[in-house]
Amino acid sequence: MQEIFSNLGLGFQTAMTWTNIMWVFIGGSLGTVIGMLPGLGPATGVAILIPITFGMNPATALITMCAVYYGAMFGGSRASIMINVPGDASAIVSCFDGYPMTKNGRAGPALAISAIASFIGGMIGMFFLVFLTQPIASAALKFGPAEMFSLLLFALVATITLSEGSLLKGLIAIAFGLMLSTIGIDAMTGIVRFTYGVSSLNDGIDFLVIIIGVYAVTEVFKNLKDINAVYKFDSKSIGKVWITKDDWKRSIWPMLRSSPLGFVIGVLPGMGGTIATFMSYALEKNLSKHPEQLGKGAIEGLAAPEAANNACSCGAMVPLLTLGIPGSGTTAVMLGALMMLGVRPGPTLFTDHPEIAWGVIASMLVGNIILIIINLPLAIPLVQILRVPTRIMLPIIMGLALIGTYFLNYSSFDFIIVMIAGVIGYLFSKLEIPLPPLVLALILGGATEQHLRNSMVLSDGNPMIFIQKPISAVFLVLAAGSLIYALIRGKKKAA
Amino acid sequence: MNFMTGIIAVAIGGIYLITAMLLPQMRMGDRLGPKLFPTIIGIVAMASGIILMIQDKRPGKASKKADFGFIKHKDLWLKILLTTLVGIVYGLVMDSMGFILPTALFMLFISMLINKGRLVQNIIVALSFAVICYGVFGVALKLSLPRGFIEQMLPF
Repeated sequence: MQEIFSNLGLGFQTAMTWTNIMWVFIGGSLGTVIGMLPGLGPATGVAILIPITFGMNPATALITMCAVYYGAMFGGSRASIMINVPGDASAIVSCFDGYPMTKNGRAGPALAISAIASFIGGMIGMFFLVFLTQPIASAALKFGPAEMFSLLLFALVATITLSEGSLLKGLIAIAFGLMLSTIGIDAMTGIVRFTYGVSSLNDGIDFLVIIIGVYAVTEVFKNLKDINAVYKFDSKSIGKVWITKDDWKRSIWPMLRSSPLGFVIGVLPGMGGTIATFMSYALEKNLSKHPEQLGKGAIEGLAAPEAANNACSCGAMVPLLTLGIPGSGTTAVMLGALMMLGVRPGPTLFTDHPEIAWGVIASMLVGNIILIIINLPLAIPLVQILRVPTRIMLPIIMGLALIGTYFLNYSSFDFIIVMIAGVIGYLFSKLEIPLPPLVLALILGGATEQHLRNSMVLSDGNPMIFIQKPISAVFLVLAAGSLIYALIRGKKKAA
Repeated sequence: MNFMTGIIAVAIGGIYLITAMLLPQMRMGDRLGPKLFPTIIGIVAMASGIILMIQDKRPGKASKKADFGFIKHKDLWLKILLTTLVGIVYGLVMDSMGFILPTALFMLFISMLINKGRLVQNIIVALSFAVICYGVFGVALKLSLPRGFIEQMLPF
């Protein structure tokens, strides 16, 4: 326990510098603004803001990205509440009661409870995060290549089996992501693979370029259909951005119940904020004495998913920081950006760079406080962003995406890759092939192959090594179990 | 839609698998080496594609038809095509023309494509974007940016 507090103290030393506090403020504000834009979520936000982290030290970069992530979570629900258009999928549930509250003349309390619930969910999530990371990271330090391979395999499989959607299409997305990760010179043997004579591919494809392509460029293409959307609302009718005593009484227990639920869901790969918010809403509907009021502007129907969503984002940081395995699209983007800066999150991060690992955790606490300051008194000016027409925002997002691509490697070849990735991402969305598993596989592909090959060399080519090692066997059983679960769920749905 | 996804998976997986099989075998150490992992991936892609295609052909299990809207939304596809081409050209000319001019021209083109008929508004957005980005990334964050004739005239 004492170790945790001394580590947290070290984290606060890192996080509480003026530079880092400034970046938490800037990142949180930019994230809030991007999160508010319809169709754009935290993953896109982090992807297009990656360039601002170049030139920063890794701790500041990760702190800034966390602030963008958090800010986008806070901002995502603003559009749901004001104009009934969710910023991203995890803000859909906020429309259910948030927009009816606005229609009932209670936009102010809706914006307030959204910020308060996000704050409470974030703080409860942080509490669990602080106490869970060290034991998990210490346990993971004992993992050899066989255990790591099985863990990565489980993470990849769980990403498609726990999330909604077709299992086979998820598998295809993972296969495509892994294929992309093998392009270029093989680091272990020097053999050039899958470049088909294009020398610019010898160094492999930078996954951040693909990430920007499928998250930012694809999103712009998707939004091209609705370029004439103009959202109108009356600022004067928002009223005071605060809640009454009765609102507080109705919201406190739903927030406290939903936060641990959201955190647990966030830890699991592939589940993410969308499932957390829907589950917390379903839970409240079951527990509520007046379930008929939910969906008609009940404040608890907004408080619960907002708290779950932010607790979920803390949960998603657990596998990222302790195992180096991103559980969601946004954390995958963050992992990619960190690897670009020469930092590989994982168990050794806590021993080799404790100031980064704990600095980020501490900064999330600070960020939570800063974001509630941004989102309560500044709620009314911030929602004015929603008035900026989509047809002006889309070129700006496209411009930022391409400038971000340029900064990655200063390579004009990357522009070809990013635009093609954008078009392919758009085509995949039309075929309902999920993109997050592809991105995850692309990032984890190199490590997965490396651990597989190291294990095979250690065992002299005997694949039984993965079963003989108990921890590895457990992960394989978990992977098989999640596959069976997905198959049963698929059959039930079909019936 | 699932049938088409299956065909794509089998085609790409097949090409990938054949390429993987043609990779040289190592004689010592990591013997399966560079072939093992790609072979597994190729098989997974092809197997998933084949199962998806078979499932889609079962009576009553057919998924909805893939609709990319190439004809129905041809304006949208034209915008996507033009944006893609201009994006690539933007990258190709940036090193020789500097940052501000190509960025402003790219933004103006994309804005005119998306925000049709509002020339003045689009010029303001394009110029402001290029100048603000140069200020933020090139001056404030001190990131290296290509220097063309406009940047050469600037004091920073």
